[in-house]
Amino acid sequence: MDGIHDLGGMEGFGPVAATFEQNPFPGFADWEKRVVGLSYTLPLDGMTIDWFRHVVELMAPRDYLQTAYFDKWCAAYVVMFTDNGTFTLPDFGRPSALADTGAPSGEAVAAVLAQDRASAGSYERPAGSPPAFAVGQTVRTRAHMHSGHHRLPRYARDAEGRIISHHGCHPLPDASARGTETPEHLYTVRFDARTLWGPDAPPNDHVALDLWESYLVPA
Amino acid sequence: MPTFEPKRAAAIHRDLHSHVPSDPVLRVKALESLAVERGLVTSERIDAWVEAYSEHIGPKRGAQVVARSWLDPGFRTRLLDDAASAIREFGFEGDATGDLKALENTPEDHHLVVCTLCSCYPFSILGMSPAWYRSAEYRARAVREPRKVLAEFGVTIPDDVSVQVWDSTSERRYIVIPQRPAGTEGWDEDRLAAIVTRNAMIGTDRHLEIGAP
Repeated sequence: MDGIHDLGGMEGFGPVAATFEQNPFPGFADWEKRVVGLSYTLPLDGMTIDWFRHVVELMAPRDYLQTAYFDKWCAAYVVMFTDNGTFTLPDFGRPSALADTGAPSGEAVAAVLAQDRASAGSYERPAGSPPAFAVGQTVRTRAHMHSGHHRLPRYARDAEGRIISHHGCHPLPDASARGTETPEHLYTVRFDARTLWGPDAPPNDHVALDLWESYLVPA
Repeated sequence: MPTFEPKRAAAIHRDLHSHVPSDPVLRVKALESLAVERGLVTSERIDAWVEAYSEHIGPKRGAQVVARSWLDPGFRTRLLDDAASAIREFGFEGDATGDLKALENTPEDHHLVVCTLCSCYPFSILGMSPAWYRSAEYRARAVREPRKVLAEFGVTIPDDVSVQVWDSTSERRYIVIPQRPAGTEGWDEDRLAAIVTRNAMIGTDRHLEIGAP
């Protein structure tokens, strides 16, 4: 969808609020840490990463820009767990008090660290067909996409770039957002900055994107 | 099961305002307390995750990987070839690093990582992202005017150095391997790791400070 989330290349934003801190939760409020913990703890049965992303994208544009990143996550969980019937929105108007918990035990921390390690794994899936494109080939991105979830940003549409690597097949986000796993060949495509931004861009700068085969057409 | 119905999700987003507190502190508290009440989560488990990201999972992991790549050419080769496997040598594999790619800065190239569409980040190797990485300003501008963004971090890239921006549009994640600064000959891994900044591993830092001799 051509949504507000697709920020790449939009103009009118001010300077980046650069920070240089090294601490583990850089600038986090306590509520943001709770959202991180919830994200690893809530039972996301049947939910996919792309359904989660699409739910965030479906926030009204005015709200999207005014809502902090982890507050967007919280809103997405409220929506997803209302959508699947776990909660109703009026439930959120009468929360019960949370008990005070002390510091977590060493065993509890070890358990989540083990869970994190066990969750590691590639998204690569067996290929059902040979790749349509080869490394080194020039390709063109699609000019028009659909109104569902996908991962081809506006700034990189209808543009010629060169395939610099191929990663086998990965689940197509468009299908994952609808609850279906459809592996498709994934490539890294490198674009000249001048192709994307015009002749004033530095001649030796590039932008690389990971793009699925159906986002590409022969050049 | 989710309905996977975008219209339904958008409608819930609109209705949410009349029912759910707008203050994120209250909103998150409401979500956690309801999830606890229904037996979906325990606050203790959430505490454990917060502790894991406070004490164990963070940019120190990435810094150690970078330091080893400077000291051990065999490891450097494995890291550049397949970073997702190489970080298993440390037990650093985890969330969002199953398809990790290491990007090596050179005198000719500078790498910069962004996720314009959401804010994807290699959590198990770099921990939680800084607020600027998740900001609309960075997501909008890093692809279009990376040199100006870098200047806001105090980093000037000469014209003859190529800037390579990587937009994390798939589940592949990126970590930048900065160049080892001169004056660090003979340093051990821990001492080297201590000078590797979080920003350098995202690409908004280039020349690492080695501190007072």
